[in-house]
Amino acid sequence: MGKSAAPTLLQGTLDLLILHALQRGAMHGYAVAQTIHLLSDTVLTVEEGSLYPALYRLELDGAISAKWGLSENKRKAKYYEITKRGRQLVAQQQATWTRLSGAVYRVLAR
Amino acid sequence: MRRLFLKLFRRRRLDRDLQAELAFHREMSAAHHNPIPLGNAAVIREHAFDLWRFTFAENLGRDLAYAARGLRRSPALVLTALLSLGLGIGVNTAMFSLGVEFLFSQPSVRDAGSVVLVRVGGNSHSPEKIIDFIRSSGLFADVAGENEETFANFNDGAETHRIFAVYTTRNYFTALGVPMLYGRGILPSDPAEVAVLHYRFWRKHFNGDASVVGRAINLDGRLCTVVGILPEHHRTLLGFGYTPDLYMPSYLDDTVLAIYARLKPGTSIAAARGGLVTVAKRMDAAIPMEWKYEDNLSVLPLAGYARFRAEPELQAVGVFFALLLAIVGLVLLIACVNVASLLLARASARRREIAIRLALGAGRGRLLQQLLADSLLLCVLGSGFGLALSQLTARLLARIQLPLPIPIRLQIQPDWRVAAYAALLTSFAVLACGLLPALQSVTESIAPDLHRERKLRLRRALVTAQIATSVIVLATGFLFLRNLVDSSAISPGFDVRHTLRADVNLPPASFKDPKKKDAYIDQVLHELAALPGIDAVAAARLVPFTDNTTFGSTLTFPDNNQKVRTYFRWNAVTPGFFGVMDIPIRRGRTFSPADRVEKVVVVNRTFVQRFLAGRQPLGTVFRWGDIQQPYRIVGVVDGTKTITIGEEQQPQLYEALDQIANDRLRIQFVLRSAIPPALQLDAVRRTLYGLEPMAGAQVETMYSSIGLAFLPSQVGAVLLGSIGVLGLVLALIGLYGVMVYSVVRRTREIAVRIAIGASRGNILRMILGDSARLTLTGSLVGLFIAIFVTKPLAMFLAPGLKPADPLNFASVLLIMMLTGLSAAWGPVRRAMNVDPNSALREE
Repeated sequence: MGKSAAPTLLQGTLDLLILHALQRGAMHGYAVAQTIHLLSDTVLTVEEGSLYPALYRLELDGAISAKWGLSENKRKAKYYEITKRGRQLVAQQQATWTRLSGAVYRVLAR
Repeated sequence: MRRLFLKLFRRRRLDRDLQAELAFHREMSAAHHNPIPLGNAAVIREHAFDLWRFTFAENLGRDLAYAARGLRRSPALVLTALLSLGLGIGVNTAMFSLGVEFLFSQPSVRDAGSVVLVRVGGNSHSPEKIIDFIRSSGLFADVAGENEETFANFNDGAETHRIFAVYTTRNYFTALGVPMLYGRGILPSDPAEVAVLHYRFWRKHFNGDASVVGRAINLDGRLCTVVGILPEHHRTLLGFGYTPDLYMPSYLDDTVLAIYARLKPGTSIAAARGGLVTVAKRMDAAIPMEWKYEDNLSVLPLAGYARFRAEPELQAVGVFFALLLAIVGLVLLIACVNVASLLLARASARRREIAIRLALGAGRGRLLQQLLADSLLLCVLGSGFGLALSQLTARLLARIQLPLPIPIRLQIQPDWRVAAYAALLTSFAVLACGLLPALQSVTESIAPDLHRERKLRLRRALVTAQIATSVIVLATGFLFLRNLVDSSAISPGFDVRHTLRADVNLPPASFKDPKKKDAYIDQVLHELAALPGIDAVAAARLVPFTDNTTFGSTLTFPDNNQKVRTYFRWNAVTPGFFGVMDIPIRRGRTFSPADRVEKVVVVNRTFVQRFLAGRQPLGTVFRWGDIQQPYRIVGVVDGTKTITIGEEQQPQLYEALDQIANDRLRIQFVLRSAIPPALQLDAVRRTLYGLEPMAGAQVETMYSSIGLAFLPSQVGAVLLGSIGVLGLVLALIGLYGVMVYSVVRRTREIAVRIAIGASRGNILRMILGDSARLTLTGSLVGLFIAIFVTKPLAMFLAPGLKPADPLNFASVLLIMMLTGLSAAWGPVRRAMNVDPNSALREE
């Protein structure tokens, strides 16, 4: 499948990506995965094995909230929404990530 | 808080929600023509749920239940493990509770931390007026005094018993706040004729009848009212398990008391000591003595760790207990290794199960946790068993009446310290037993055969360590056993087989006059000598091993004007003493009633060698300290041991009993019997009672009275000997397990060997050689360590016995080899009976 060449997500970055995706509005799990997939120009694939544990963890931490709703095709789906605490977390983690990736880039460029 | 709330209330829905969500996700993927994600739904659920559950507790519960189910199917393993761990942990906690009680016990008084022991002028005991002086200074919240070790005579109507009384100041009970079982303590307003009974004394003599409170009992010929009963677990200020029979107010003018004071709130010991200097200066001005109260002041803590830190002697005992703890710790280690090796064998049986679970996606950490549950369960059960066992043994140990001159009973009760120690040992045991086998089985799923080899090697290493450890323990036990044998062979210097002694305590009130005492002694000697079967009788101030007095004085020899600083054991005896005790007189004679004109002494040979270098001892005259009248040596005897059987012979000096100022109420009689001395005890008791009903007398055979001398080596030998045997049995079990396992594993190899013509002898040699190699390696390693470990034991041993005793080590080695052989016996028979046909067909 060639998928093995796809970069795997760094530990801890998945939370940030999920929260970032949810800043666009409430969406269900599948949509979160799709959003990340598309926004990364299909480089990143979020597997359900990592996605749902992450979503459950974020909910427990109070960064997102969940409720059942109807999807676009009139199916029952669980919708996730970012909370105020979640937005604070995104801002924090984004700053950290920018610093870190910048540093890594600089190291590799020299 | 929020998390807890969510966890508690959303758990039920969790599973349904997640199923629906995953189904939706897959549907959407299909609808968008995306590949259906290859996730393991079960793993996702596990991971997602872990967060939402009280994972640890829930898993632990499930693991324990699973472990219990699994273990129920192997009762032999459980039994062996429980026995090993129970004995190991039991011995450890028993030793720990004994040590804690002995070293750190708290006396039964209110707020023991604020009570201190006060010494002025370097005196351990002071007259009551000094106590009053300190109390009136207001330096302390209160000051009380006690004389811990006084004898009293208790007459129960039929017999007079010599009992142990504590004389106290009247304010003792109120100042210290001693808890009572019945009645009350002594009050400052009480008359002198009251008494507080100890629980044990009350049980023994009054059958635990509470109505004795308020009644009068006969003490030293005085009628004293019992005002209260102390509880069973009363701990004295003296500590160390000293258990007196009763407390009564001090009523004799010359009684001296140890001073106990309660610090004022907020006062430190250092501050109290500072204040005491001022008080002592005033005391020196008010009560002038030859010495000064101001010198050698001390204020010492009385309870717990503070006392331990303040007393170097206690620390020496602490070292001994630490040594014992280390040795029983080794036994626990052996036990743990046994259990570890059993679990290792079990893990190999569960290899398939673990491989399947790993393949199904079980996390290694999770599996490890589950495998540790086995050892957790075993260790918790084992330590429960061990704790019960230790309380039992500690109580039995404490119940044994040690042959000590004073009543010692340690109050062994489980407390938080013992519980904490047991918990610590248990967690150590869980890891020691479980971690290695668990790690092994989790890592072994790949290339199982390779790992099986490594596992066997691991087990062999464990067994080698086990054998080494038991060698160390056994070598120590053997050392004490040798010590016991050696010291039993040492003669105490007098006949203990045909003699008995009577230890008499005269009532103070009626024997104030020394003449009356002398008359009493003459009368007793006369009447005891008239008893049938009694050959000879003598009186003495001291009988070796029951009492001793050591003098440090300057002797001056007028013939060459030499002044010698000497140190000798002293005694005062009647002329017949040496004959009764069968102490050979080497030169000269014993005392005679004609020795009225000059003071005469008999010395032992060590005294002559030490202080009279090369001179003719008989007739030598010397002056003792400042005493004007000279002393003349009239006889030289062999002399005796005095305090311990192993001690070096000390210089001894005997005076004639009728030549000394008889200022003591305690007097001993020694008797020589033609028939076994035990048969004379009753007659002697009756005679003494007839002569003075108010005198308490302890009558026993000489053989039982010198028990104290053998106590250290007896305790050491019994304790360490049994610990050593325990360790040996545990090692035997471990070795047997390994041998059986190795034979089972090699069944096919053995079958092939037999099939191609190996004889039974070859097989025998192969298996026995294997066992011998293990045993020998372990023993040599153990012996090597033991040489260093047993070094500090030298101070407890009889002279001439070295810790690194070759005979000792050789016997331990022999025992270990025999153990190795017997452990291999079963497996060897199994190997020799291997039937090559069926064994090879099985594969």
